[in-house]
Amino acid sequence: MALAEFSWDASRNRFAFSNIGVTGSKLSDEVLVDNARWFIIFRWGVIGILILFQIVAVIASDTLTDAGITHQQGWPLAITLVLCIANIICIYALDSRRQSKYNSPSINIWAQIIIDLLCLSVVVHYVGSIATPAPFFYVLHIALSCIFFSAMESLIVTILVCVMYAIVLLIETPLLFLSPQSVLIGSGTSSINTHKIDILSWMFILDVLFVIVWYVVSRLAIVVRTRERQLLDAYEQISRAQVEKDRYAVLMTHQLKAPLDAIRSKINLIKGDYCGEVSPEIKDVILIIDSRASGMAGLILDVLKLERLKAAARSENAREHVNIEAVIRKCIDKLNPIASSRHIDIKVSIEDFVVEGIPNQLEILFENIISNAIAYSYNGASVEIASSVDRQRLSTVVTVTDHGIGIGDKDLPHIFDEYFYTPRAALHNRTSSGIGLSIVKTVAENNKLQIKVSSEQNLGTAFSIVFQGAKSAPVAEKSIQKPGSPAVHPANSQGESLEPVG
Amino acid sequence: MHAASQHLEPGKLAGQLPNSVLSKENRATQRIVHVDDDPDIRDTVKRILSANGYVVDSYQTMGDFLDSLRESESPPDLAILDVMVETMDAGLDAFVEIRKRFPQLHMIFMTSLGEEIRPYFTGVSDEWILIVEKPVEPVSFLSIIRSRLDNANNAKV
Repeated sequence: MALAEFSWDASRNRFAFSNIGVTGSKLSDEVLVDNARWFIIFRWGVIGILILFQIVAVIASDTLTDAGITHQQGWPLAITLVLCIANIICIYALDSRRQSKYNSPSINIWAQIIIDLLCLSVVVHYVGSIATPAPFFYVLHIALSCIFFSAMESLIVTILVCVMYAIVLLIETPLLFLSPQSVLIGSGTSSINTHKIDILSWMFILDVLFVIVWYVVSRLAIVVRTRERQLLDAYEQISRAQVEKDRYAVLMTHQLKAPLDAIRSKINLIKGDYCGEVSPEIKDVILIIDSRASGMAGLILDVLKLERLKAAARSENAREHVNIEAVIRKCIDKLNPIASSRHIDIKVSIEDFVVEGIPNQLEILFENIISNAIAYSYNGASVEIASSVDRQRLSTVVTVTDHGIGIGDKDLPHIFDEYFYTPRAALHNRTSSGIGLSIVKTVAENNKLQIKVSSEQNLGTAFSIVFQGAKSAPVAEKSIQKPGSPAVHPANSQGESLEPVG
Repeated sequence: MHAASQHLEPGKLAGQLPNSVLSKENRATQRIVHVDDDPDIRDTVKRILSANGYVVDSYQTMGDFLDSLRESESPPDLAILDVMVETMDAGLDAFVEIRKRFPQLHMIFMTSLGEEIRPYFTGVSDEWILIVEKPVEPVSFLSIIRSRLDNANNAKV
């Protein structure tokens, strides 16, 4: 218990600590690389638009000249080339060069932004620095830098934008800032003065806009990043809690099962005649004690298994190609001693096929279904395991059929409920934990399987597990199967001719 | 104990018959160490193994066993270790230390949790570990011990 309290405190400290550094935080290199790539793709789009513009300019040059847009300078071509070369260099730096102090994703994005701003300044100059939409495209880079960088870095980009725009205006009107006295000189200069005021007001308004955009977007970025960090922390806490929970479950299971195991070990000493001869009556009683204890031990382990399977549903699991026949053979190897002690014959007729799934979970699923089929069979009966492939729907069905006590119509809808059991079933199989089928259900959920059950009382039950997207096993995979398994081998057509009961 | 019996390879066992005759002669000298904090399990294991001619040293804690390893000149032929003795990880920690210092020592793990404990071994060691589920069932327990000892002997030869 003390352990649990300690970790609670520790996680709270961690949470508070991580909150401090959030405002100045940068994105991780991984995210920056993604952003750099996205930026490059975005630029390819801009390059495409520029090329389209030039094609249109060639085709309909007269119309464009009429509309007042001139293209004789050839600047679109130059910018297209510069952007293309910049993109190629950035891709090369990202993909083919090792990351170093001078080749980090952050520097990559900085270089992209500066090249973009230079190109945009050229565009602004040629398209028109005032009274055109061109300068507004600076806003895009400010917003992007707010997303990519910290607030301070994006402020530098904003100042850079303001300076570049001022330079463009200054190049166009070199005497921009020398105007105040000229108002008095003569009436001839008044039109020039209004032009200058016009330029200055454009510069002022746009600079204010740039700063406002920077402020709003960087604020937003900080909020998003804080939330992102909190989410990450919460996720970390959850996975840590999951580990703690599993440890606790393991500990509980151990504490509950260990005394039972000591009892059963002692019983086994008597059963194995290590304590001298005992009367048959006592031996019978001992067997019953052992069977009830074994049922309880099974229940305790099943609770742990179910907990783990439920936890597995929340975590990412490695799905692999699983050879179902091999899985079923392994289960039968395990269950054969129980089956043969009750003279139950297991007939297998499985086509070799492979499905995507979590191997040990599929094993648990089949072990539970087959052991149920054995447990609820009458002595001396048979259990059939057969597969049928539906090539049109790309699905394969494995059916486990028994000829046992069956399930009543009333009970059938509830068989997958936790701890559900019927008095009939309990009478037939005292050691049932009542959660075997909950385990099956959880595995089916985790592996996205469909299960059909048909049953008739006193005739038997058929469990059909439907695998979507099954593939027939490649030859190489067959070698994984255990050679010389003691399981009963396919009973030719008999398995396939079986119809589910009911 | 059925969980463990699946790992036995019946074909291999049959092929080793001459060896197992040999090991029968050696059996008097074969020493098995058993570590478990449960006195009833210790007693059961000792009874079964002693009745079948093995020498059994039982220890209550991993610390006691490690001390005995340091003091004795010859390591035992086989060690049967409980995973959760005293604390949850004592068995795992001891396993790591023994592997480091006595790489040849053969070990079997015996735990109430059976295969469910295996996730705790991943990351601790890459080698395949035999985990036997409690309770102790004399027939299958003995067959596991014999096959392990035979494997150990083969490895030495």
